[in-house]
Amino acid sequence: MTEIEARHFKELYKKQIVNDQLRANLSKATLQAVDSRGESFKEVDFEFLRKQAKMIREESVSHLNQLLSQFEDHARENGCKIFYAETPEKARAYVLDVAMKNNVNLIVKSKSMVTEEIELVPFLSGKGIETVETDLGEYIVQLAKEKPSHITTPAIHKSRTEIAQLFHDKIGTEMNNDPKFLTAEARRVLREKFLSANMGISGANFLIAETGDAVIVENEGNARLSTSSTDIHVVVTGIEKVIPKFSDLRIFMRLLARSSTGQKLTSYVSVLRGPRREEEKDGPREVHIVLVDNGRSSLLGTEHQEVLNCIRCGACLNVCPVYRNIGGHAYGSVYPGPIGSLVTPMYFGEKNAPDLPFASSLCGNCTEVCPVGIEIHHQLLSLRNEIVAAKKSRIERFLFKNYRKTMLRPGRYRMMGRFARMFSKSALVRRMMKQWTDYRDLPEFPSQSFREMYKSGKLN
Amino acid sequence: MEDDREKIFAAIRRGLRKDQHSDTERDGRSPLNTPLFADFQMRFEKFSDELVKLGGEAYVFSDYQGISDFLLEHITDDAGVFLYDEIREKYDRALSELKSTRAYKLSTDFENGYDKRDVAAFGSAILPCAACIAETGTIVLRNNMRLPAALATRLFVITEPARLIASLDELFTEKFRDAGGSNLFLVTGPSRTADIEKELVTGVHGPKEVYVIFHKE
Ligand code: SF4
Repeated sequence: MTEIEARHFKELYKKQIVNDQLRANLSKATLQAVDSRGESFKEVDFEFLRKQAKMIREESVSHLNQLLSQFEDHARENGCKIFYAETPEKARAYVLDVAMKNNVNLIVKSKSMVTEEIELVPFLSGKGIETVETDLGEYIVQLAKEKPSHITTPAIHKSRTEIAQLFHDKIGTEMNNDPKFLTAEARRVLREKFLSANMGISGANFLIAETGDAVIVENEGNARLSTSSTDIHVVVTGIEKVIPKFSDLRIFMRLLARSSTGQKLTSYVSVLRGPRREEEKDGPREVHIVLVDNGRSSLLGTEHQEVLNCIRCGACLNVCPVYRNIGGHAYGSVYPGPIGSLVTPMYFGEKNAPDLPFASSLCGNCTEVCPVGIEIHHQLLSLRNEIVAAKKSRIERFLFKNYRKTMLRPGRYRMMGRFARMFSKSALVRRMMKQWTDYRDLPEFPSQSFREMYKSGKLN
Repeated sequence: MEDDREKIFAAIRRGLRKDQHSDTERDGRSPLNTPLFADFQMRFEKFSDELVKLGGEAYVFSDYQGISDFLLEHITDDAGVFLYDEIREKYDRALSELKSTRAYKLSTDFENGYDKRDVAAFGSAILPCAACIAETGTIVLRNNMRLPAALATRLFVITEPARLIASLDELFTEKFRDAGGSNLFLVTGPSRTADIEKELVTGVHGPKEVYVIFHKE
């Protein structure tokens, strides 16, 4: 198992939580996203859409084998090459192979969480193939040699001044922190990359079983260029992205952008059906679709199956009080926030993220906004249960067993109450409880129990 | 290279062995709270409202002169114009002045393929569309060249009122599913980003300006 930073969550979040600038940026950005989301749902019936979306996603995941093979057949008929990868290593090796066979030296890439998950860009760059992130937010974090801190707004943690300094240092622009200026500079540099690149990589928001289409949703136009301006287009996505029908898009298109950025629809939606046709004058000549498992299939049939319904809108991050205070980097995973606290231990192993399911106040805001109706906070709770059950020490097991017995027997309860009152003030006990009392007070025990006070008439 | 298809399918079958529910009954109702836009005028108003909110513009012209004047007024640079041949055929009368005063290329000039730098050099692209959607102010493109609409600074679409459909419910149907071609592109306003402190900036990669013209005969 590859080690990921999420192992060190406890150290990471402590560093982030004291960063006032970060918290101010996050607060501004997430509150704005929450407001726009609310506004954008006024025109449609959210509950109707959510119910339909949940049903369709449940159908998709519970029929995954049928739908995947249907998708695969149609995508092949459309001229695509399909490759299934159980592990990140396999997926990376395939993409590298395609690039090498075609003498590719420059790749333009649009935003894709799965490529982050399998660490594709550092891998390809390490093999000497320049791979440029073309989404503005991703480009910023790539220049800064950082990781994205939000699923849909990767550079949400950076202020305009930090970005201006970064552009000045890395691409030689003048020091000007106007977002319009910075965006125009990025356009200039990246346009040249699009015109010189010989391969494009993208993710996919949905795969349609009945047509073999890959659907990509975006605002900037970089995904359109990454998928259309080179001879080879490689889609890297998860096996769970499949949905049954083209007509199901009427539900998801109305939910995804509203949940994510508060838009009715993103600026661009590309529904791609394989390589260019004979009568078409541009578009890729080769389209490869890499379907990554990386732990997803192991969730099927478990109580965590519904996590696979996620459409990665990012709404649960924007409303999460924990995320708003510590930001994405604290999670040490490409998937931050409530959904990240679920999928990180699931895809990367519980040992890699033992604390993430505990990084939640269980307030349920996430569940309330989730457009596909995932019971996120219940899932977090059940994951906590599993982690605690698996790692309980002998002492803990002994203590919990006795706690249970105590709660079931009144005589024993009285006796334990007496012990607690007797020893709660002892310095030794307080030292033993140090971890707990670091952040909260150990309550004072009264000198008598309720029953004793009642009997002595003190309560009258 | 051998892929992991069999392994993954075996894992899926193992996981799904437990009884899972059957097919979902779709509810075909529209999720829109207000009734659909019945006639062209109502649809156009909604379409225009949505597009204007995003920074685009929509117009109805009933004469060729109107279209011609509009294009001349908005295409002021000398970066060149890309014209779809289908547009030239239908709107030649509206384009004659433009063609005599601006450098332009037709899609048929690229019959044998082209270098993407040639298309990137155009300032404006004038295209036909498969549909427009009133609900969201969206243009639906299904053309045999993908790049002009993605690379030009200014995007013009000229179309007829019959192509303006009410909602996304009408788009995601068999008609558009089975229309052929390798791509269906939905364009909703100018290209935009809010990646820097959530401040909205248009024209990050694609067109900065989007105009839709309905020609009502
Ligand atoms: S869990 Fe729900 S709210 Fe969170 S990213 Fe996934 S779909 Fe969106």
